[in-house]
Amino acid sequence: MTGYVGRRLLQLGPTLFGMSVVIFLMVRLMPGDVVDVLTGGDVSITPEQRDAIKRSLGLDQPLPVQYVHWIFGMVTGDPGFSLRSHEPVYTILGRALPITVELVVMAIVISVLIGIPLGVASATRANSAGDFGARVGGLMGLSMPSFWLATLILLFTSLVFQWVPAVSYEPFLKDPLTNLSQMILPALSISVFVIAIVMRMTRATMLEVLRQDYVRTARAKGGTRRSVTYRHALRNALIPVVTVVGFQVGTLMSGAAIVEVIFGLPGVGYTLIQAIFGRDYTLVETTTMLLATIFVVLNLLVDLAYVVIDPRIKVQ
Amino acid sequence: MGDYRVTRRELLRQGSLLTAAGLLAPAALLEACGNTSSSPTTTGGTPRAGGSLTWALEQDPTYLAPFGPIPTSNHWGNELIYDSLLQWDKNLTIQPALAESYTTPDNLTYIFKLRQGVKFHNGNELTGDDVKYSFDLIRNPPPPGSVSSLGQVPAIASVDVVDKYTVRFTMKKPDASMLGFLAWGRYSGIAPVDMYKQINPVTQGIGTGPMKLVEYIPNDHLSFTRFADYWNKPLPYLDQILMKVLPDEQARVAALRSGAVDGATLSADSARVLASDRSLVVLKGLTAAFREIQFTIKPGENKPWADKRVRQAISHAINRQDIIDKVYAGDGKYSGFIPPGYGKYPIADADLVSNYLKFDLSKAKQLMSDAGFSNGFPMTMLSIAAPADMTQAAEVVKQHLQQIKIDVSIQPQDIGTFAKNNGNGTFDCDLTSRGMRGDPNGFVAEFVSNARLWWPGYQVPSTIAELISKGVATPQPDQRYPIYTQLQQALMDEMLEIPLVAVYKYQVVNRRMHNMYVAFTDFNTGLKQAWVS
Repeated sequence: MTGYVGRRLLQLGPTLFGMSVVIFLMVRLMPGDVVDVLTGGDVSITPEQRDAIKRSLGLDQPLPVQYVHWIFGMVTGDPGFSLRSHEPVYTILGRALPITVELVVMAIVISVLIGIPLGVASATRANSAGDFGARVGGLMGLSMPSFWLATLILLFTSLVFQWVPAVSYEPFLKDPLTNLSQMILPALSISVFVIAIVMRMTRATMLEVLRQDYVRTARAKGGTRRSVTYRHALRNALIPVVTVVGFQVGTLMSGAAIVEVIFGLPGVGYTLIQAIFGRDYTLVETTTMLLATIFVVLNLLVDLAYVVIDPRIKVQ
Repeated sequence: MGDYRVTRRELLRQGSLLTAAGLLAPAALLEACGNTSSSPTTTGGTPRAGGSLTWALEQDPTYLAPFGPIPTSNHWGNELIYDSLLQWDKNLTIQPALAESYTTPDNLTYIFKLRQGVKFHNGNELTGDDVKYSFDLIRNPPPPGSVSSLGQVPAIASVDVVDKYTVRFTMKKPDASMLGFLAWGRYSGIAPVDMYKQINPVTQGIGTGPMKLVEYIPNDHLSFTRFADYWNKPLPYLDQILMKVLPDEQARVAALRSGAVDGATLSADSARVLASDRSLVVLKGLTAAFREIQFTIKPGENKPWADKRVRQAISHAINRQDIIDKVYAGDGKYSGFIPPGYGKYPIADADLVSNYLKFDLSKAKQLMSDAGFSNGFPMTMLSIAAPADMTQAAEVVKQHLQQIKIDVSIQPQDIGTFAKNNGNGTFDCDLTSRGMRGDPNGFVAEFVSNARLWWPGYQVPSTIAELISKGVATPQPDQRYPIYTQLQQALMDEMLEIPLVAVYKYQVVNRRMHNMYVAFTDFNTGLKQAWVS
């Protein structure tokens, strides 16, 4: 166990390093640079003025030097300033990250609370009309893009109830009720995809588990349908479901980007999209690196949790 | 300067008296651009003080710093905070603002008399030192401002404080764009001395404007509260204004329907959908952002459009009304190089339609044949990917040019890539949009300044440069009108850029909101005088 964990932790360093190089290069290879955006494509800008802007932003240095500055800054807690607004990047992310984290956590909770019971019900009533409906619903959930669903939800509530969430973001600790009313619709929009995945995964593993000998034994012992389903079958069927939910955090993060724009929530995804359009290198690089790091660390945690849950992994 | 100087000063004096007396009569105090086509406003009733409203912005201001800003949205965020020495009313007529009058002893000097007793939001009184401080930074914008704003700044050599309430501007050369630049206000906000050292100008601001900034949370909202000591009483009427950043159009539509916001800018299609909602009012007005096609002509490339007749053929082959009908649902106007609505400077619509920009396919074919291109040629056209209408217009132009056998390949690009190609002149032709300028010179100056990068392989007629110089050096509007008419005629003969259409901007507001109008400047200036019932 210790060896496995150690090996996975050792892999983390090179993975993060490789990602940082790819992110840095991809951002710098985007056509058009921040100077073009800052000058608005103004033809009258002289080469000397362009050079002066580059110097003021530290973009006159060779790329490897800029890369080292950025990495060193990130590690020491100061990756620099937004090239467009001159706000410290960590100030911007400190404002945006809690919103996205809340959105993703809420979406996961919704996915689990709806997806698992639906999956169980579908498996225990396999091939019934309800099962068929849940499977079709699941397919629709997988097929509907979150941005489309978000727009539809907004238009629906505004037309039918003359209501949309409060437009100005309120932190949970400041006003919990307003905050929850603001977050529930965007969270629902991005969670539909994950609800479908969780439902289908739960159904599939439940169907498999329900055919196992120990379930038959539990039934033979006289266990009620409810206790056999939830105490014996579901507990074992949940292992792959937990893994899948962990892996869906990345999907939720990416879905959050567009949904944040639609609902006007100033989260990380929204910030990143604005920064990409503005060629705000420092902000794009740091935000992408942060998201990638979260993704890698979560994957690692899921892998490690899997080892704890399923001892057979250790043997492999 | 003779009689004109006296008249202008007298008019400004009258204007300041009117304003001081609290009479907000829209008297024509000084005509820079003359009367423009005004948009419908939400009017009616006696203004009521108090209340609050929420306005949806389609784009985050990025930063509020007043000196050298690049994004237009920056001014959406700070126009309620900062005032300039002069201001435009909604008809683009220059009105006094922080300066109550000015004189021009010679054509290189402007002396401004500041309004006395004007307070900044921090309680300090406005003096000449604040004006000098601001203009020193306007001419050397600190980050996040950019030197590219300097192209809009008049040729100011020095700013001197004569006394507490008098400031003298000395120009490097006669420059008639000075007054329009000040009235436009986009780059000429006045801040108190050392403001950049006292606060973070990115997210905070101290001005003399009608509203005080309470907070700016980037990408989310700006909140303002009424400035009780505002110099232009009885404005502002509103106690609070909240600006919410809602980039998604459907989100703005939903927020308007539900009453969560009181007003927003929308596309023509969305505005039409909301026209049937009895709680909402659709406002419509022209802005300066007309659409046009630009070419580059490089030495040795021998591109077909290096021949003037080909460019003229392209212009005559384009059916602008078809663009208006297909892309803008019938709402739009022909535009010359100075857009319709910009006072008396634009070429008359009838002349554009029936002469300079006439859709005349047989003439276009004849011109192509005369130039030796009756079999056409391929051409790549860049367009800005968002907003979508730019690429849609390019698609319609592509269909038109097929009639003269020009095979257009359209390449939509995001704004960053487009800006790079535009700035470097690395494109054959592109379809883009212009923006507001403080003076008519701003719409034509590029035919000199851009020649180095865009047309190094073409000799732009010297008369164009001469007319541009003459126009900017001539302060009297009556003498300027014929210069700019002649200049536009010369430019529409050359067609190095082909103006297409001017489009309408739509703002939808809640019926309880009054005094709002679509500003030709593309700002939301009506919020300064808006009130709610």
